[in-house]
Amino acid sequence: MAAVAVKYPAFQELGAEVLAVSVDSVNTHQEWQERELSRMVKGGARYPMISDPEGKIGRLFGVYDAKTGLDLRSHFLIDPQGIVQAMEIVSAPIGRNISEVLRQLRALQRYAATGDYIPCGWEPGKPTLTKSSDASSTSGKVWEIWKPRNAF
Amino acid sequence: MEIRIGDEAPDFEGQAYHQGKIKTLRLSQYRKKWIVLFFYPGDFTYV
Repeated sequence: MAAVAVKYPAFQELGAEVLAVSVDSVNTHQEWQERELSRMVKGGARYPMISDPEGKIGRLFGVYDAKTGLDLRSHFLIDPQGIVQAMEIVSAPIGRNISEVLRQLRALQRYAATGDYIPCGWEPGKPTLTKSSDASSTSGKVWEIWKPRNAF
Repeated sequence: MEIRIGDEAPDFEGQAYHQGKIKTLRLSQYRKKWIVLFFYPGDFTYV
């Protein structure tokens, strides 16, 4: 979550709020913040760190693992209307890619603002597929307007 | 409970540590903003 703390200003610039949830108590959250996060990142974690001691919140989102009693490493992108637009669940030993979470948020916001389709590997500055180039008119012609190198 | 894309996110209330304070917050209080909700297995671990 230190990496999320590093990128917190980027999430804020996109008008997003970050919320972090684990089964730890708020006291443990505070201890982690004071003993470690604030040493790794200036200001530490400035987003709310929510305590989910019985896994109730994790169960609501289908990420509580009863075998370990932990909330699985995961993220959900929720739009301003409260609708889940993206989610990812990763095995606990595997770290996330926060840049990818930011990319998904930027892509969802671009789609919401323009209705343009967001091709594989899109980043700001790369081409989108405009509404006029929708599936019916581009069927069989995507190769003319989008190259695999755009994905990387 | 299983969440699917396009579902309304279930509301919840919880205790939070936030910038030196302990407070109670609800997911729905952030409605009208994009929310990035992270779950993680435990404090004192990496992302």
